Amino acid sequence: MGTALAPAVRRAFESGTVVQKDDTYVLNHTTKYLARANVDERHNYGQFPQGDPRARICESWRFPVIDGYYDPADPEESYHWNEVTFVYRTFDGTQPGSVSVVGTFAPLYQEIPLRRIGGTPYFAVTVMVPKGEVHTYRYVVDGRQELDPINPQTAVADNGRVWSRFFTHGCTQRLSFEPWEMDILERLTDHILPFRTVEGQRFLDRYYQQLDRAARESQYPIAYRFDESVGIANFIDKLVAREENHRLIDYKICLEIINRLLRMRNPFVEPRLMSKEMYIELYNQMASGNVPGWDYGAYQNPRFFLQLLRRHAITGAFAHPKYGGNAAASGWVYLSERYRDPETGATLFDWRRVQEPPLGTDQQYRG
Amino acid sequence: MANGYDVVVIGSGAGGAPIANMLVKAGKNVLMLEKGPLFRTQDQTSGLSDFKRDELFATGPEKIIRVERAANWGESYYSSHVEPDLNDEPHIYRDADGRDRATLEGYTAQCVGGGTQLYGGVSLRFSPLDFRLKSFNENGAALRNDPNGDVKREARDWPITYDDLEPYYTLAEELVGISGTRQNQLKPASREVYQKPLPPNPISRFVEIGMDALGMPRYRTPLAVITEDHPPSGRTYPGGEAAKTGYVNRYGCPLGLKSSTWVALLAPIYGRPNFELRPNCTVTHLECDSSGNVTKVVYLDAGGQRREVSGKLIVVACSAIESVRLLKLSALESAEFDRRINQNDLLGKYFLTHCFGGAEAIMPGRYDKSLSVDSDWATDACATPDFIRSNGLWAGGAIYNNTSDQCLPISLARTHGSQDIDTIWKAFVEDTSLTGERLASFFDENFGTRLSVSFMANQVPLKTNRIELHPTVKDKWGRNVAYIIKEWHPHDQYLMDVFAEQCARVLRFGGDGGRGNYPVFEKGGVYQAENGLARIANHILGGARFGTDRNDSVLDPNCRAWEFDNLYVTDGSFMPTSGGANPTLTIQANSFRVADHLLSRL
Repeated sequence: MGTALAPAVRRAFESGTVVQKDDTYVLNHTTKYLARANVDERHNYGQFPQGDPRARICESWRFPVIDGYYDPADPEESYHWNEVTFVYRTFDGTQPGSVSVVGTFAPLYQEIPLRRIGGTPYFAVTVMVPKGEVHTYRYVVDGRQELDPINPQTAVADNGRVWSRFFTHGCTQRLSFEPWEMDILERLTDHILPFRTVEGQRFLDRYYQQLDRAARESQYPIAYRFDESVGIANFIDKLVAREENHRLIDYKICLEIINRLLRMRNPFVEPRLMSKEMYIELYNQMASGNVPGWDYGAYQNPRFFLQLLRRHAITGAFAHPKYGGNAAASGWVYLSERYRDPETGATLFDWRRVQEPPLGTDQQYRG
Repeated sequence: MANGYDVVVIGSGAGGAPIANMLVKAGKNVLMLEKGPLFRTQDQTSGLSDFKRDELFATGPEKIIRVERAANWGESYYSSHVEPDLNDEPHIYRDADGRDRATLEGYTAQCVGGGTQLYGGVSLRFSPLDFRLKSFNENGAALRNDPNGDVKREARDWPITYDDLEPYYTLAEELVGISGTRQNQLKPASREVYQKPLPPNPISRFVEIGMDALGMPRYRTPLAVITEDHPPSGRTYPGGEAAKTGYVNRYGCPLGLKSSTWVALLAPIYGRPNFELRPNCTVTHLECDSSGNVTKVVYLDAGGQRREVSGKLIVVACSAIESVRLLKLSALESAEFDRRINQNDLLGKYFLTHCFGGAEAIMPGRYDKSLSVDSDWATDACATPDFIRSNGLWAGGAIYNNTSDQCLPISLARTHGSQDIDTIWKAFVEDTSLTGERLASFFDENFGTRLSVSFMANQVPLKTNRIELHPTVKDKWGRNVAYIIKEWHPHDQYLMDVFAEQCARVLRFGGDGGRGNYPVFEKGGVYQAENGLARIANHILGGARFGTDRNDSVLDPNCRAWEFDNLYVTDGSFMPTSGGANPTLTIQANSFRVADHLLSRL
């Protein structure tokens, strides 16, 4: 845990440093989700066990709040960092005396106190954490350690102890899937997106070759696995770890079915090495809803899974790279290179113009 | 000034902010309560805005409807980061099959600035005729598709004229910060206050050609986007085409170049000792005494604690549906409030949106549509008495092109086959043929090539179109949610067909140099959409109309509730007819007008 996969972060700042934010900032990112009187579980789409208090809360995945960081004295270095705002509250009407957070993001597991947000049940503190990292933490409430009652993400440590977990922007550490699942996911999404068409492949090869190491680090400081086409599998790995955790189960069941099914169809080749035609055939069968060998008892509707995968794939290809897909902005670059003015050669999708440096070139917008 | 406020304003969007702006500048003590967060621009923070140029801010991750007994229980929805959560506070509408469905339609945005943070910024005035549709139709010929004479019977003149509102239109344009051109508008202005528009996107050239070929006098669409420094709000313009980002409609502007009511009207008074803004506070109800004074505004603070506050004057401006809901919820709390607000049976009735729709085509060539604001060209050619009468219509409307729609890759995919927030992603995920080479072709065909022309026209007011409290569905605070019951009158449908054809003609003539044969593949009015009864275009109007006759209106001509001394309603709910244009500027102008009246009382 806590391993920085990002290109070497220049540690001009220290992880865990407290950033002063005003109460309004905290409440702006808290009230809508946590202030409420309902006791019904209106936010459970299957991602929570029954009775989990998170099911009453809207978008509990938003906590702790991960946001950009900006220091006017060092904008360039700032871009490598996130602000992480921990918010604690109880839902049983009790009011703790003191709350602090202890976790892998701070030196020597030091306890960082949360402050009471005036006149509210919320406690909060904002700290700096580098991008591209995964961390675990616990709250210390009146001297006793507990898991975050809001954030649903957890991780089990080597000693079997459960911790709350968060990850920062551009994270590439696997959180949801096994390597074999990632492999199949990549092959499936390859077929959905245009990047593995002949032209698309040519583009990717050229694009990744021309990015030398220095460019990767300066222009695309968020880490990527460059052997991936456009980071779609990584995007989905993060999405189902957090925002769409209710869809993790769909992936787990269907990837298992697909793995078994592909091995049945060709026992001699690993699914990740199987021919494009095998995947196209599977894709078409899934689209029709009729997949020979599919375990309908385990998952009723292969077409539904395909639809889910398509939405996630296209989102991952073209969403801001901070979400872990669109690696090195390759999705955007694909479009900006493909579409050019036939006369001047100028791009007809000038995304860089309005995105923040160093990703883009906008001199005002900071991301 | 605790509890000693001159005015308490509920809601910080187009209806509330102008009043706070004027009254604070006049030295009055104003408290503004806003349900949503205070999202700031880069300059107002230590460096980063809460708004981002990020497609996943406009349409977020999947969530699933869990509203009990709703017919769309189990369906997916994707709300923006400032829309309310559908499971927490849904709007329910009654669909054509008689079943209730939860919808995001009818919410604008819950944040300081309200809908003006997310809107495209189209800031048209209503035409002088829009204010007197009853008089205009009284002696006219019979209307098409109106066999029972509903339209003439239900049309109303506003209690104020265009000329009464004109100075406030000008004031609103000046203080909000609007860029556009005036020549060829049917809406006379007393003073020129527009900033210069930015050069149009090259794809809009086809609209120019089409409108010229058809003899439609055109002008640059007035937009709430600054293009120069704006002294009234203290905003500076970075220069060049900085405002043309493509992240326009449904995106807050991180630089504050879009003239939301927060950056234009509230930020300039923020920090003054006589102004207090409390974001993240939800008003639950109002209480009144036996002489018709609202004595208490009861709200839940950012932590969910019940609080009370009072003021000499109370302004409700939560957007039409939520204002009607708040008044109805207050009536549930007390018989006195009930008796007064329901002195006739009109509260919630005559709910209005717009007749809207348009046409779309794939144009020759490809253009960088991300270099755009929301719209480039507009015309009032379909708002003239001649056009209206010769087509057997009761009212006119505006036509303008959309430049920024579908200009970004995810939005192109997720709005493929659907344009509204309830059915987003649906067609794309179901169209499984779009994959690999076919997906590449889809982008080749549609990215930077599509051009749409839209209309915005008056909807016939009907008493049966109404906002109620839903009998069973409760929000996260246990309060009954709003229930939207509406349908399209046959004349509305006819009007939408006429206007959609006009939009299509602009593209047909624009696409082939004026010959009129260019293929247009989509054309229609919203009533034809699968969920046409839900669709509102975020233009939520009526339900508490103003008038001179207390038996025929909810509010008096100053937007005061008839049986109350100090209760005013100033969002779009005051409108007796919906006007032939996007409503925001008219809501703002009217609020400036009401502000003058309030000042005379303080």
